Amino acid sequence: MTTATLWNTVNMTDRTTSHSNRHRIIRLVLLAVLAIAFIGGGYAYYLFNMPHRDVQRTATDARIDAATLVKEFLDDAAASNSKYLGAEGEGKVLEVTGTIEQVDKDLNERAVVVLRNGDMQAAIRCTFSESTNAEALELLVGTNVAIKGVIRAGASFDPDLELYEDIVLEQCAMVEPQ
Amino acid sequence: MNTNITNLIHNISMKTTKLLFLAALPIALAFTTLTGKYVSRAVHTEFFSSTPAEDIRANNYAGTGTIDPATGSVAFSIPMQSFEFEKALMQKHFNSADFLDTQAFPKAKFKGTISNIKTMDLNTNGSYPAQVEGEMTIKDKTNPVSAKGTITVKDGKLSIESKFPITLAEYGVAFQKGKPSTNVAKTVEVTVNGDFAVE
Repeated sequence: MTTATLWNTVNMTDRTTSHSNRHRIIRLVLLAVLAIAFIGGGYAYYLFNMPHRDVQRTATDARIDAATLVKEFLDDAAASNSKYLGAEGEGKVLEVTGTIEQVDKDLNERAVVVLRNGDMQAAIRCTFSESTNAEALELLVGTNVAIKGVIRAGASFDPDLELYEDIVLEQCAMVEPQ
Repeated sequence: MNTNITNLIHNISMKTTKLLFLAALPIALAFTTLTGKYVSRAVHTEFFSSTPAEDIRANNYAGTGTIDPATGSVAFSIPMQSFEFEKALMQKHFNSADFLDTQAFPKAKFKGTISNIKTMDLNTNGSYPAQVEGEMTIKDKTNPVSAKGTITVKDGKLSIESKFPITLAEYGVAFQKGKPSTNVAKTVEVTVNGDFAVE
């Protein structure tokens, strides 16, 4: 749009005054440089201010049961990390179904809903966001729910902690029943 | 005769007590390893980098940590992809293979000891200065870390806080040129805090 306007300016100038071909070429080159600088600058500005991925508006990559997901990580951590975590930190967007074991708040005042079915060795910790916090804090322990969020870490046994680390799901929201 | 019987009964009861004690010992030990440690599954970690060009912060609220009150040994595991930056592009760079390669190395780890744990009474409300010595592993590179912190005891729960610097180059993160070399500090400040309870 802007480039087109600039072109029109060039053409109008051409009609009103007469210039040699050399002047015309110089002007075209300058215009091209300007256009490239403008596009480049615009792209840099876009990158610098690029918004975070909106997890809830991102299509779900997989629907999975809490116990199945935990088992996958405990069976093969390396394969699961490359399957679920993203190369640039943008992991898979999952809808996880499970039973609520606990509802708590983290040090950022975000609701954390812990899903654990039966005797799972590790749980799924789902951290909600500023806009979805309220709905999570109303949830009751023992309820079966489906929660959508981005996976940030898998489950594993840590010998130094001497316990199982839970799967971390963030930017979560409740999935409306189908 | 009478004293002999009394002695016999006494001996038997002593033996029974010993047997009971020996039988109870492993149960008590098993119980201790299961419940003796203070645990937090929502440790907050902040990275803070300051240069004349800009200040950069990243926050993470999903760390797991344990504190053993008997030995003072502590362990922390921080899921790297949970660090959130104000700028989406910085977050992507932080996670990428050129920086911390968090897909290949999804957790940072600290393993150490509170060297002055014996000076604290964790059963009484109060606040204690803590000295921690240990090793930090980020991106598969391990370096010694020494840090000061505070442990506050309140009604059987522990709140911990510590602040210490780390040098990025020691963990294979070094920028020779471009924006990161001027905008990311060579040494960043790490703040850790969390609320711990016996699980």
